[in-house]
Amino acid sequence: MAIKGGQIKDTHIENLAKIVGTSAILYKKEDLLAYDCDGFTIHRHLPRAVVFPNSAEEVAKIVKYCHEYDLPFLARGAGTGLSGGAIPLNGEVIISLTKMKRLVSVDLENRRAVVEPGFINLKLTHSIADKGYYYAPDPSSQYCCTIGGNVAENAGGAHCLKYGVTTNHILGLEVVLPNGEMIEISTNGVLDPPGYDLLGILTGSEGTLGIVTKITVRILKNPEAKQTVLAYFDKVSDASQAVSDIISAGIVPAALEMMDKTAIEGVEAAAFPVGHPKDIEALLLIEVDGISAGIDEQIQEILKVCRSRNVREVKVAQDEKERERWWANRKTGFGAMGAISPDYLVQDGVIPRSKLPEVLERIRQISEKYGLRIANIFHAGDGNLHPLVLFDSRKPGETEMALAAGSECLQACADAGGSITGEHGVGIEKREEMRFIFSDEEIAAQTNIRDVFNPKNLLNAGKLFPTPGRCVEVKRNEKMK
Amino acid sequence: MLATEFLSELKAILRDSHVQVEEDVGHPLGNSGRVTVCPQSEEEISNVLMYADNHGKKVTIAGGGTKRGFGGGTEVADLLLSLAEYKGVVEHNVGDMTLTVKAGTPFQSLQEYLAEYNQTIALDPIWPEYATIGGVIAANDSGPKRFRYGSARDSVIGMRIVYPNGTIIRSGGKVVKNVAGYDMNKLFIGSMGTLGVISEVTLKLRPLPKYESLILLSFQEGKMEEIRAFAVELLDSLMEPTSLELLSPSLSERLTGNHAYTVAISFEDVESAVHYQENFVKRIQPAKTNITILPLKEARAFWKQFYTIAPNGRESGSSNEIEAALKIGVVNLDALQVIKASHILQDAMNIAVEAHGGLGHGLCQIYIKGTGEEVVAAIERLRQFVIPLGGYVIVKHLPLALRQKVEVWGEKPSYFFLLEGIKTKIDPHSTLNHGRFVGGI
Ligand SMILES: Cc1cc2nc3c(=O)[nH]c(=O)nc-3n(C[C@H](O)[C@H](O)[C@H](O)COP(=O)(O)OP(=O)(O)OC[C@H]3O[C@@H](n4cnc5c(N)ncnc54)[C@H](O)[C@@H]3O)c2cc1C
Ligand SMILES: Cc1cc2nc3c(=O)[nH]c(=O)nc-3n(C[C@H](O)[C@H](O)[C@H](O)COP(=O)(O)OP(=O)(O)OC[C@H]3O[C@@H](n4cnc5c(N)ncnc54)[C@H](O)[C@@H]3O)c2cc1C
Repeated sequence: MAIKGGQIKDTHIENLAKIVGTSAILYKKEDLLAYDCDGFTIHRHLPRAVVFPNSAEEVAKIVKYCHEYDLPFLARGAGTGLSGGAIPLNGEVIISLTKMKRLVSVDLENRRAVVEPGFINLKLTHSIADKGYYYAPDPSSQYCCTIGGNVAENAGGAHCLKYGVTTNHILGLEVVLPNGEMIEISTNGVLDPPGYDLLGILTGSEGTLGIVTKITVRILKNPEAKQTVLAYFDKVSDASQAVSDIISAGIVPAALEMMDKTAIEGVEAAAFPVGHPKDIEALLLIEVDGISAGIDEQIQEILKVCRSRNVREVKVAQDEKERERWWANRKTGFGAMGAISPDYLVQDGVIPRSKLPEVLERIRQISEKYGLRIANIFHAGDGNLHPLVLFDSRKPGETEMALAAGSECLQACADAGGSITGEHGVGIEKREEMRFIFSDEEIAAQTNIRDVFNPKNLLNAGKLFPTPGRCVEVKRNEKMK
Repeated sequence: MLATEFLSELKAILRDSHVQVEEDVGHPLGNSGRVTVCPQSEEEISNVLMYADNHGKKVTIAGGGTKRGFGGGTEVADLLLSLAEYKGVVEHNVGDMTLTVKAGTPFQSLQEYLAEYNQTIALDPIWPEYATIGGVIAANDSGPKRFRYGSARDSVIGMRIVYPNGTIIRSGGKVVKNVAGYDMNKLFIGSMGTLGVISEVTLKLRPLPKYESLILLSFQEGKMEEIRAFAVELLDSLMEPTSLELLSPSLSERLTGNHAYTVAISFEDVESAVHYQENFVKRIQPAKTNITILPLKEARAFWKQFYTIAPNGRESGSSNEIEAALKIGVVNLDALQVIKASHILQDAMNIAVEAHGGLGHGLCQIYIKGTGEEVVAAIERLRQFVIPLGGYVIVKHLPLALRQKVEVWGEKPSYFFLLEGIKTKIDPHSTLNHGRFVGGI
C-alpha cells in the first residue's frame, strides 16, 4: 500500500516508512491531529509523524535513525496521561507502542508475567483471573491505558494503598536507549540485580530515559476475602479524621477513597449513580481484603471508627454486584465531571494524611478566590488528592484561571509538607511547580541522570523539569483547546 | 601524604574528639581508614566530604561496620567516615505512619522505639543491633520476610544525601506516594555508599502485626520435588505467608536441632487469621514431614537468633578459618536448587555450609567456612551452577586478601556503561568507597 496522500516531501518520513512499512506511519496533518495532545488537553502541538513499530527491533531502528539525524522523538501508549507527557512539544516523531500489545508469557508458579508495552493494564488481570491471580496496580484508566505508560508514569490506583504503586511490581525491563541500543535488566525477574537500581530510576521517568519494549511484572494471588464499606459524613473534617483513625488503628485497608459534595453531585449525574444522598459533605469508600478469618474484626473496627466520627450512615456491601457498582461510580469519577461542567482540570497533589482537614479547607478557599468550583475525589488513605477544577474554556480567561487555581492547590500541598504529584506525573503541566519542592541543585541532580541516558536530549525533551528562567505564563504559541 | 598532615585541617572542620588516627589500620576485612572521623551533624559530613573531594582524598563510609567485609579492594582509605555518632529520630509522625531518622541510628533501637507505638519498619536485616538504618539501605539488605513486605526500596520514601562535593540533595519526600521528578531514592538504595552519604532517611511504617507465628516444616527424606510441590501448593493457595524460607539441613540443625531441609513459614495477622492459616498448612502437610508451630514469643525468639547467623564484619576475624557470605539471586523456585547445590558442596569439599533461600522471592544467603583456597573454589563452583540459571552470586563477606581473588560482584552487566556513567556524574573523582561496587566503580 502506498503512503496515503501520494508524494512525501520529507525524506525522513520516507526513511522511517522503510523501517515500519508504509501502512504503519502517519504523517498527514489530518491524521496527526489525533496525536497533538494526550489526557492533558490544554497544550497541543502536532508531531512530525507517528510510527507504529511491531517489535523491539523496529523501535531500536527508528530510535537509531532519529538519533543519527537529530530528530526529536517520544513514546506514546494509550495517550491517557494527564500531565502532557506524550505531547510532541518539539514536533517529535511519535513512536506509538499500540501494536506491541502481546502477552509474552505467564509463570504462575514464580508469580510473574512478561508483557509488551502496549498491553492494556486490565487485560493482564483478565488473562490470569481464571487461575485466581491479578496484577495489582489499578489506575482508574486501567481499561485502556498501557502497562508501558504505567511504567513511565509509575501509575498508582485505588488499591495501591496496601499493594504499592507500579514501581513495586516491576521485576524487569527491556529498554531501547535514546541512542538505539537495547538493554535488558532482569527480564527473567531475578530480584536485586547487581548495580544501581536502574529499574527504579526508569520507572516513573516519564519516557525521558528510554523506550520500554518489554516488561516483567509481579502478579499476585487474589485475596481470599474482600469487604467494602461506604460511609456518609456531614462534615469533611469528620471524614478526614476517620481516615486517620482507621490507619492509626493498625488497619491497612486495600483502598480508602474519599469524595466531597461537588464530586458526589458529579458522579450521581453521570453514568453510574448509586443513589448517594445529595446533602452529605463527604463519603468514604473503604475496602479491606485478606484472610477471611481476619476480615470481620477489621470491618467492626472500621464501623466503630466511623461512628465515633459522627457518620450519618455507614453500610457494608451486601454482594459483589453492590461492591462493583460502588467502584464503577468511583472509578469513573473524573469523566463524570463532564456531566456538571464543560471542562475540568485534574490536579494530583499529595499530603501527609493528618493534614487532610487543613488542606481541604485551603482548597475551598482557593475555589472561592477564583470563583471556580473544585471537586475532590481522591485516594485519602495515602493522602493523594485529586482536586478537579471545573471551568468553561469558552469563557475568555477561565482556562488560565483554572490553571492558576490548580497550581495554587499544589502550592497548598507543598506547604503542608507534601508533593506536587502522586501518580499523574509532572509532564508539561507541573514543570514549574517542581520548584515548589526542589531546589535548583536538586533539579540539576536529576537532569544529570537524564544526561547519562539521554545525552542529546532528543527523547521527550522539555518535560518534567522547569526551564531555567521560563515564565509561568501558560499559553504562548501553543494552541488553545 | 601522611595522615597527620591533614589532621589539623580535619580538626578545623570537626571537633578534636571526633577525629581519630588509627594506629592499627591493617584490618583483615579491609575498608578501613587512616583517620576515622565521626561527624555529628550533616554540615560536618558535608564539610568533610568537600575537603576530601577537593584534596583528592579517598573516603570509606561506615555505618555499624557489619558489612566491612562486603566489596572493595582497598585496604585503607585516607578517611573512614563513620556515621556512628549521627543518630536519632528526627521526626515521627505517628498518625501519618512516617519516620525520619539520622542514618547512623541502629536498626534495632528504632524498632524498639516504634514498638511502643505499635508500628514497625517492614525490613528484617541481619545483625539489627549493630546495623545502622543507613547501612541497611545503602547495602539494600532484606531477610526472609521480604516475601510479603518487600525491601528497602519499598519502604524508603525520602532521603537526604550528601554528595561527594558536599552538596546536600533531598530525594523523594515525606509522603507515602510521590512521583515528582525521577525516583532518586532508588539510586542510593543498594549503592553501597558509592554515590553519596545518606544522612537522613524517611520511611513509611507499617502497623506492628497483632499476632504472628512460625511453622517449621521439616522434610525428613529431603526430596526436592516434594518440597517444591508443597511450596507450589501453598503459593497457589489463598494463604498469605510472610516468609517461605528453605533452610539447609545444617542451618536447620543449628537453629532447630533437626538436621533436615526445613521450610520456615511465618504468618502475621490478627490471631484468628494466623491460626486459620496454620490449620491450612496442617491440612496440606506432606507425608514424612515433621511440623512444629512456634507461637508468638517463640516465633520472635527464633527470628532473633536467625538474624545473627551471618558472619559479622565488626568482628576481627582473626581465626585461621575463613568465613564467607554470599547472596545469590535466582528466579523464585530455583532457590530450591541453589540450597541443594550448596548443601552438596559441603560433602564434596572440605567446607561447612549453611544456607537459606526464599521460595517466594528467590534470594539465597550462603555461609561458607573453610580454608581460603576451598572457600574460593566453592564460590566458583556455585557461580558455575547459578549463572546458567540466569542468576548471580555476590560475595557479601570475605577477607580482603581473598576478595581480590574472586569477582565480588560477578561479571559486569551489559549495561555497565550506565552504571559507570552515573558514578562519574555524581562522584567524578571517585572519592567515595572507591572501587567498592560492581565493575570496580
Ligand atoms: C480517566 C482517567 C483516569 C486516570 N486515573 C489514573 C489513576 O487512577 N492513577 C494513575 O496513576 N493514573 C491515572 N490516569 C493517568 C494515566 O492513565 C496514566 O498515567 C497511565 O499510566 C498512562 O498510560 P498511557 O498508556 O495512556 O500512556 P501515555 O499517555 O501514552 O504516555 C504517558 C507517558 O509515558 C510515556 N510512555 C508511554 N509508553 C512508553 C514506553 N513504552 N516507554 C517509555 N515511555 C513511555 C510517554 O512518553 C508519556 O510521557 C488516568 C487518566 C484518565 C484519563
Ligand atoms: C556476612 C554478612 C551477611 C549478611 N547477611 C544479611 C542477610 O542475609 N540479610 C540481611 O538483611 N542483611 C544481611 N547483612 C546485613 C547487615 O548486617 C546490615 O543489615 C546492614 O546492611 C549493614 O549495616 P551497617 O550499618 O553495619 O553497614 P556498614 O557495614 O557500615 O556499611 C554497609 C555499606 O553501606 C555503606 N554505608 C553505610 N552507611 C552509609 C550511609 N549513611 N550512607 C551511604 N553509605 C553508607 C558502607 O560504605 C558500606 O558500603 C549481612 C551482613 C554481613 C556482614
